[in-house]
Amino acid sequence: MLDKNRIRLMTKMAKYEKSQAAEDLKISSYYKKDYASLNTLITAIWVTVGYALLAGLIIISNIDALMKNLTIAKFIIVVSIAVGIYIVLLVVYCVYAGSFYKSKHNRAKQRVKRYYRSLSRLGKMYVKEKK
Amino acid sequence: MSTLLVWKEQLQKIYARFSIYIVKALQFILGLCVFGLINSNIGFMKAASSILCTLGLSAVCAFLPPIVMAVAATILILLHFYALSAPIALVSLAIFLIMYIFYFRFTPRKAWLILLTPVAFAFKVPFVIPVAFGLLGTPVYVVPAAFGTIVYYVLHYVKSSASALKGGGTSGMAESLMAFAKQSLTNREMWIMVLAVTVSLLLVYAVRTRSVNHAWKIGSAAGSIAAIVIGAVGNVTLNVHLSYGALVFGGLFAFAAGLVLEFLFFSVNYSSTERMRFEDDEYYYYVKAVPKIVVSAPEVSVKHINASQPKGAPAMPKARGREENVDHAEAADDILLTRSLTKELGLGKLDDK
Repeated sequence: MLDKNRIRLMTKMAKYEKSQAAEDLKISSYYKKDYASLNTLITAIWVTVGYALLAGLIIISNIDALMKNLTIAKFIIVVSIAVGIYIVLLVVYCVYAGSFYKSKHNRAKQRVKRYYRSLSRLGKMYVKEKK
Repeated sequence: MSTLLVWKEQLQKIYARFSIYIVKALQFILGLCVFGLINSNIGFMKAASSILCTLGLSAVCAFLPPIVMAVAATILILLHFYALSAPIALVSLAIFLIMYIFYFRFTPRKAWLILLTPVAFAFKVPFVIPVAFGLLGTPVYVVPAAFGTIVYYVLHYVKSSASALKGGGTSGMAESLMAFAKQSLTNREMWIMVLAVTVSLLLVYAVRTRSVNHAWKIGSAAGSIAAIVIGAVGNVTLNVHLSYGALVFGGLFAFAAGLVLEFLFFSVNYSSTERMRFEDDEYYYYVKAVPKIVVSAPEVSVKHINASQPKGAPAMPKARGREENVDHAEAADDILLTRSLTKELGLGKLDDK
């Protein structure tokens, strides 16, 4: 027989399974610290690539001004400024990525917990109906 | 005003009933705008710039997640640029990669917001974006708005200097690479518009989240004026050529769009505002409660009047009455089920973050 509460529960679960379940289950298979560390490391690599691209674009677009009267001292100053900006950017992104992925892991874990609770509720509903 | 509110209620009902089709239709229209504008403005690759390609891409993207549309638009732009000149495609790829690395890795679901900004610029109403994003979004929306502005100006530059950018030999390619990178990154008009969009969005958001009366209206007006002023100041100080008429029209249109958004998403009755003050052991509380305007859409009921009633049927009204009662009970059950499903599935949250 059709049970409205069961239909509601199943709809909610089906929606979750369709949208977020796969990713959440994958995330919750990691420990929070491992997940956050791994993704922070990946972010650091991406930021390095992105910064290299950005620096490359800026150098290409200002190559005339940079090459004009280029001395060793000027070169060292430009390189140290670039490295300084890179370090600041890297630290900011790593700190942000750490907290972002920790909260992402927390949210995923909560959703998975709720999903398992719904599964057990559904099982109980079936058992009750059979009786 | 009450008629408009009734229309709004009816629109909400229609949306709740046909949301799947409406969302897909809107996605298709956005796809048509995005791919159509790309193909009509920078359609250097003939095979990819046909109307068939525009329609096909729009139809396919309508049935896929919105991020796919952003990726498809990026690939289409790169294809057209590659057909024009490889260095331009290379520089554009670097710009798109930078956008992906620094922002969209974290919020891939909001990547489609970047599509709206160039569309608004193409329709000559750029300030709608900061006003709309400021009213409905968060300060983080500054990033897609700014990136969208940069994308629009890169496309605009390529469109206006296509013949000059067309690559020749190897030395021509290197020159073209440097010239394009320089023009893309040192376009003063682009940076003024990025600044106008950013400041305007933050201002709208800051005002809209205050508890003053008519915060949404004040926010829209302040954002529009700020955008116009920044554009005008940029015109004077940096000697760029933004049309004053277009700036003012854009600002007015943005304010009007803000009013429409307020009506749709934040209709409250300020005249019935209540202010309360109470306290507990630790704090004094000053609370301002503004009631929402709620108007229920009238239900259309069709009354059937029979011309003649057979004589030998006196018990008919009673029986019909019972039948109606049963129908009402079923209808109430259906309504409750629909409401609870809508609540659980989050269909009612239009400003879902």
